[in-house]
Amino acid sequence: MASADGVFSPSGKLVQIEHALAAVSQGTTSLGIKASNGIVIATEKKSPSILVDDSMLEKVAIVCPNIGIVYSGMGPDFRVLLTRARKSAQAYWKRYGEYPPTRVLTQEIATVMQQATQSGGVRPYGVSLLVAGWDIHRGPTLYQVDPSGSYWAWKASAIGKNMVNAKTFLEKRYNDDISLEDAIHTALLTLKEGFEGQMTEKTIELGVITVPTPAEIEEGRTGAATGRPKPTFRKLTEEEVRDYLAL
Amino acid sequence: MNSLANRFSTTGPINELRRAKSVLEDDEFTDSAWGSEAGFGSLAKGVPNFTVPSVPDPSAFLRLHTDDYADPSCRIKIQHGTTTLAFRFQGGVIVAVDSRATAGSYVASGTVKKVIEINPYLLGTMAGGAADCQYWETYLGIHCRLHELRNHERISVSAASKYLSNLVYSYKGMGLSMGTMICGWDKTGPAVFYVDSDGTRLKGDIFSVGSGSTFAYGVLDQGYRWDLTDEEAQELGRRSIYAAGHRDAFSGNTCNLYHVKEDGWKFIGNYDISKLHYDGPGETPGAGYGYDVRVERSAAIAVQA
Amino acid sequence: MSIMEYNGGSVIAMVGKDCVAIASDLRLGNQALGISSNFQKIFPVTDRIYLGLPGLATDVTTLREVFRFRVNMYTIKEEREIEPETFAHLVSSTLYERRFGPYFIEPVMAGLSKVATGGFKPFIAATDLIGCLNFAKDFVVAGTASSKLYGAAEGLWEPDLEPEQLFETISQTMLNAVDRDAYSGWGVVVHVIEKDKITTRTLKGRMD
Repeated sequence: MASADGVFSPSGKLVQIEHALAAVSQGTTSLGIKASNGIVIATEKKSPSILVDDSMLEKVAIVCPNIGIVYSGMGPDFRVLLTRARKSAQAYWKRYGEYPPTRVLTQEIATVMQQATQSGGVRPYGVSLLVAGWDIHRGPTLYQVDPSGSYWAWKASAIGKNMVNAKTFLEKRYNDDISLEDAIHTALLTLKEGFEGQMTEKTIELGVITVPTPAEIEEGRTGAATGRPKPTFRKLTEEEVRDYLAL
Repeated sequence: MNSLANRFSTTGPINELRRAKSVLEDDEFTDSAWGSEAGFGSLAKGVPNFTVPSVPDPSAFLRLHTDDYADPSCRIKIQHGTTTLAFRFQGGVIVAVDSRATAGSYVASGTVKKVIEINPYLLGTMAGGAADCQYWETYLGIHCRLHELRNHERISVSAASKYLSNLVYSYKGMGLSMGTMICGWDKTGPAVFYVDSDGTRLKGDIFSVGSGSTFAYGVLDQGYRWDLTDEEAQELGRRSIYAAGHRDAFSGNTCNLYHVKEDGWKFIGNYDISKLHYDGPGETPGAGYGYDVRVERSAAIAVQA
Repeated sequence: MSIMEYNGGSVIAMVGKDCVAIASDLRLGNQALGISSNFQKIFPVTDRIYLGLPGLATDVTTLREVFRFRVNMYTIKEEREIEPETFAHLVSSTLYERRFGPYFIEPVMAGLSKVATGGFKPFIAATDLIGCLNFAKDFVVAGTASSKLYGAAEGLWEPDLEPEQLFETISQTMLNAVDRDAYSGWGVVVHVIEKDKITTRTLKGRMD
């Protein structure tokens, strides 16, 4: 075929990436906010029919005990990336005896996404990701990865259908010493803007990073009672989400 | 074939031993019961008695289980690491040895006496099995004394060494391990004989035995002359043992130096090999034999000049 | 004869109060024949980690380069220096990669690791030739003199030694142990690691 995939257009653009970004902007909105003592990532979960068993749908996912991700865009593409990210985290653990720092894991995912923009016979991934993690070297960090494979660290960001409005909203609401509790509320408020339908524990997913205390860090290093470090990332249960929505 | 011949012949060492064993078993009180295993009790019978494995062919059995260079994986190990040397020169015989005993890589002792003082005119060196050397060279000393009493004159070095070599030959194949130099002064002048447990007996001017012998030979050969002075000869012996102690992992710790002259042997001294490396035989710091030490010394001299 | 004893050599590491020490002999041999009295077996990995590689000399050189490569790649990727615990795991996993054709080396590591509250904590570790980690709180030994080092260290080491005392302890342990080993010796080198200083001293040992 003459017009191969990852080929520049005369204007210097890679059209496939532009199209992938378009696919992302059709996806449901996701966002992340970094607080002084943690991070929240949140997304809107929309099922195509009430007949779908939505307990199977998962948009906020755990990569490893200290890192979680959320996406906007194409679900199947995300599933592939999630598997790659989890494998990468385990490979890192196998070599170094600890889980990867957020930046290293983000870079791994970004590399996978970049390769899809340059390899023959493949298309770019149709997702943007928000990666939230904690590590001892950089503390809590929030990254966004795009289909091009580029990534940045954010204090707060949004991706997907309503990203422009959501970002404007976040810019107004954000300050540096916001607490995790406040950040969760801000996240829900932001999602509310332009939310189609009812916001419930079934249509909202939340994940949080909690910064551990020095004592917890030391315990994590020595392995604690379970022999493995206490996770710093966790998904909120439906009950917890309902409680936050009620406030 | 050999074992078959041995079984039916009535002479040879194996049968000697078999006979000795049966005599021993017939005794109601063994020598050890009298407090002397192969001691005075043995002399009364002329030949020392040893209990041998009670199998049809004891030497084949021993060959299987005792240390032998033919079978390095055997069960019973005896120490091999050593450096010993002896040489003849105008002024007598120099005998020098190291003092290290090893068991595998373990340095079991650093103060072993590897020169056996057979009598005031004869020295034997020790390499291979320490017990074998010690026992048989002491035993040799007894017979040298008996020779003196019988003949009213000292035994020649040649005769003494031949006595030893014949003795060990009768035990050939039963695991004796010795590499020794019998040194002394007799009517013929200074003499050195090499005797080992294979039965080899060699007359010569220069010998070195043990794992460090190659290093000792290196120094010895380049420094040797017949007309060496006493001091030069002693220094050569000491320097040669140093070289071996330095390079060979299984030799070292100290050097024992003996000088045999017309009126018998004299113990010259015990030298710490590390001290020889750094300071040499005297008390001058930095005057050692060590390569780095010498290089540093000549560099210092060059600076002064 | 064991290939682990082909070239000879030994390493020991000890924990002190806010410091660690690591020492090795300087001998390179070809079985019983001594070749060199200046063969380094301990290498700096970062400003706060030292790695000792006793064993087969050709693998000392090879593994030194393997770890230099891997640590450099780590430093570039992570934009920071590797921590001792992480490095110990890297050593372990690198050796296990060769489970069925191992490097004949028993690494010993000593370093100071950052703690969450700021400040540093002493760290020592050792592995066997296929990477089984041994984190000890007192001392670790390896090499042809290891059994002798255990004996000497067991008798001399005590908790909370100051840097100077630790130097004295590790030096005496090493000097006395290698004198009882035919394949180790020919001089000793000692490194004492403190949070703001590393002291390296070469000791005069027996030369036989």
